[in-house]
Amino acid sequence: MISAVRRATAGLAGALLALAACSHRPDVLTFSGSVLGAEGTIVRRQIDRFARQHPGLTIEVRATPDAADQRHQLYVQWLNAWAADPDVLQLDVVWTPEFAAAGWILPIDDAVTDADDFFPAALSADRWRGRLYAVPWFVDAGMLYWRTDLMDAPPDTFDALTTIARGAVADGRVASGFVWQGARYEGLVTVFLEHLIGFGGRILDDDGRVVVDSPAGIQALTFMCDAIHRTRIVPEAVLTWQEEQTRFSFQNGRAAFMRNWPYAAALLGDPAQSAVAGRFAVAPMPHAAGRSAAALGGAQLAINARTRQPEAARALVRYLTAPEQMIERAQVAGQFPARRRVYDDPRLKDALPIPPATARAIVEHAVARPVTPVYTQLSGILQIHLHRALTQQETPAAALHAAAAAMRRLLDDAGLTAVS
Amino acid sequence: MKRDTRLAWTLLAPMLIVLAAIALAPLVMTIWESLHRHDLRMPWIGRPYIGLANYATAAADARFGAALLHTAVFTGISVALELTLGLLLALALDNVRRGRGAARLIVLLPWALPTVVAALVWRFLFESPAGLLAFDVEWLSRPIAAWVPIVLADVWKSTPFVALLLLAGLQAIDPALYDAARLDGATAWRRFTNITLPLLRPALLVALIFRTLDAFRVFDVVYVLTGGGPGTATEVVSLYAFTSLLQDLRFGYGSALSVTIFGVTFMLALLYIRALGAPVAEDA
Repeated sequence: MISAVRRATAGLAGALLALAACSHRPDVLTFSGSVLGAEGTIVRRQIDRFARQHPGLTIEVRATPDAADQRHQLYVQWLNAWAADPDVLQLDVVWTPEFAAAGWILPIDDAVTDADDFFPAALSADRWRGRLYAVPWFVDAGMLYWRTDLMDAPPDTFDALTTIARGAVADGRVASGFVWQGARYEGLVTVFLEHLIGFGGRILDDDGRVVVDSPAGIQALTFMCDAIHRTRIVPEAVLTWQEEQTRFSFQNGRAAFMRNWPYAAALLGDPAQSAVAGRFAVAPMPHAAGRSAAALGGAQLAINARTRQPEAARALVRYLTAPEQMIERAQVAGQFPARRRVYDDPRLKDALPIPPATARAIVEHAVARPVTPVYTQLSGILQIHLHRALTQQETPAAALHAAAAAMRRLLDDAGLTAVS
Repeated sequence: MKRDTRLAWTLLAPMLIVLAAIALAPLVMTIWESLHRHDLRMPWIGRPYIGLANYATAAADARFGAALLHTAVFTGISVALELTLGLLLALALDNVRRGRGAARLIVLLPWALPTVVAALVWRFLFESPAGLLAFDVEWLSRPIAAWVPIVLADVWKSTPFVALLLLAGLQAIDPALYDAARLDGATAWRRFTNITLPLLRPALLVALIFRTLDAFRVFDVVYVLTGGGPGTATEVVSLYAFTSLLQDLRFGYGSALSVTIFGVTFMLALLYIRALGAPVAEDA
C-alpha cells in the first residue's frame, strides 16, 4: 500500500530521524516515554527489574519530550519513516486510534487477559475497529477542587457552583470564583468536554457523526462564556492559562473552585508552598441537564509495528501494566492506576494524595475524547472556535456551527465520514 | 579572455554548488512537495500528486487570508515605527559628543538579546493580572489589544538595528555641506530636509528592506507572546505555515503555504532592490 517512493520522501525531518534510528541494534529493546523526575525513577526501576528477569535482553530507555505535542510530532516522524525502534511507546490517551489506523502499532489483544479490570473509558480509547492496540498504564481525570473553608459541600450542579462562587467573591474572601484552563490548547477541549457532557451534549455520536453544535453544546459553551463575561465567576485571565497558572491561582487562595488534573492535589497539600493546604478537597465536576463527567487523560503502552522483538515487547507491556507495577507507580509518582481492583489495595491509601475511593469514583465518571484517527486535527479546529467564542469574537452558536462544519469537512477528506 | 572566463567559473563552482545544495535544492523539493496531498497523520491516503490544488485551498482558506492581512498590517505599523524612532535615535547619537561608544553599546543592547527571551519578558510585563504594564487590561486575550505587546516587543528589539544603520549613513555625509548651508542661513529643519534626508536615502532604503523582510517573516515574538491567539486573531503567515507543517504535519499544504510566503518575500525583495539600485547606478 505504501510505496518505496513515499517512504523515501516521508519528509526531511523524518528521514534524518530514520538515519539516527538505523544505528539500532536488533538485540536491544527500546522503551520511549516520560523519564523526568519521579516518573523516570519508577520506570527505570521497573524496567531494570524486568531486564533482570530476562537475561540476554538489553533494554534501553529513550527519553522523549514531556510536552505531548512534541512527543507526538517525534513519534509520527519516526513511525512514518518505518523506524524499528522505539519498540515500546508511551502514547497519550488520544493517539491510539491515529497510530492504529496508520498501521504503526500492533494489535495486542492477547497482552490483556483481564480486560474487565481496566476502566472502560480507558480501554475504549485504546480500541480501533474492534481490536485493542494499547494497554492503559495510568489514568488522569479532570476534577473539581473546592475550598472546604468556604463551603460545607461541593456543588452538584453548575448553577449551584455559580451561586457559591459569586457569594465567595462578593464576600471578598476570594478574588475569583472558578478557574480553569482557557488558553487555546488541548486542555481547553478537555474543560469544554466536561461542560458539554454536563449539559448533555457530545462531540461525536456513536456513529462518528459530528454533533458538537447541538442545542446542549451551545448551552454548554454559552455557560462558559457567561461565566467569564456575564456572571464573571471565571476571571478573563484564564484565556491564557494552562494547568500551572490555574494551580498557582488556587494554591495562593485566590479562587473558590478549580478544574484540574490529579497532579495538583499533592502540590496543593504541601504547606511549604501552598496557602490552601488542609483547606481543599476534590469532587466530581458539576453538571446541568447531563451527567457529571471527567475528561480522561493518561498514558497507554503500545508496540511499534516494525519491532524486531514483538514477544519481548509484549512481555514488557504486560509487566509494566500488571497490578503490582501500577501500585508501585502510584507510590512513587502518585499517578492513578488504570486498573479498578487496585484501588481496593491498602497500599494505595498512602500513595495517592486523595482517598482512593474518591479517585476511583471520579475516574469511573471519565469520558474518553472522541476515538478517531483524526482526533488531533478535530481538536485543533475546536480549540480555535472555542477560543474565539470565549474571547467574544464569535457567538457560541456561530463558533460551534463553524467548528462542526470544519470537522465534518475534515472527516470527509480523511475518508472517515460516518455511514448513515 | 576565454581562459579567464573558464577560470572564473572554476573558482565560482564550489560556491555555486554549495548554494545549490543549501538554497536551491530545498526550495525545489518544497515546491515539489507542495504539489502533493501529503498528511503524515493520514498515511492511509498516501501521497497523491494533486497539481496546484493546495494553492487553490490556500487561496480559499480564510485563516490564511487573515494571516496575510495580519502580517501586512503588523509589518506596516512596526516598520514605520522602527524607522521613525530609529532615525530619531540615530540623529541623537550622531550629536553625542562624549561617551559615544558607551551610548551606542547601550542602544544596541535590545538587539543583542535573543528574540525569544525578549518576547518572554514582554509577556511577563503584559500577562495578567500581575503584569507590570498590564494596568488591569487582559491584553493577550483581546483580539486588537494583543497586538500592542507584539508591536512594542518588535519595535523595542529592532529599532537599535535601524538606528545603527542610519547612524553609519549620517556619518558618511560630508559636514562641509552643513557648514555651507548654515552660511546660507538655512534653518535646522531645512538642513534636515534638504541635506540629511536625501543623502540618507540609501541607508533608509537598506534599513527598510531588512526590516520589511524580517517583519514579514515574523515568528518568534508572536509565537511566544500570543501563540497566534486569541482564537487566531494575531496569527501571522509564518506561524500558520509552521503550525500546518510541523504541528498538524500537513506536509503538502504546509509546503504550499511556505512557497507562497517565499514568493511574496521574493517579490518584495525584488521591488526594493530595483528601488535601491536606481540611485546607486546614477551615482556611479
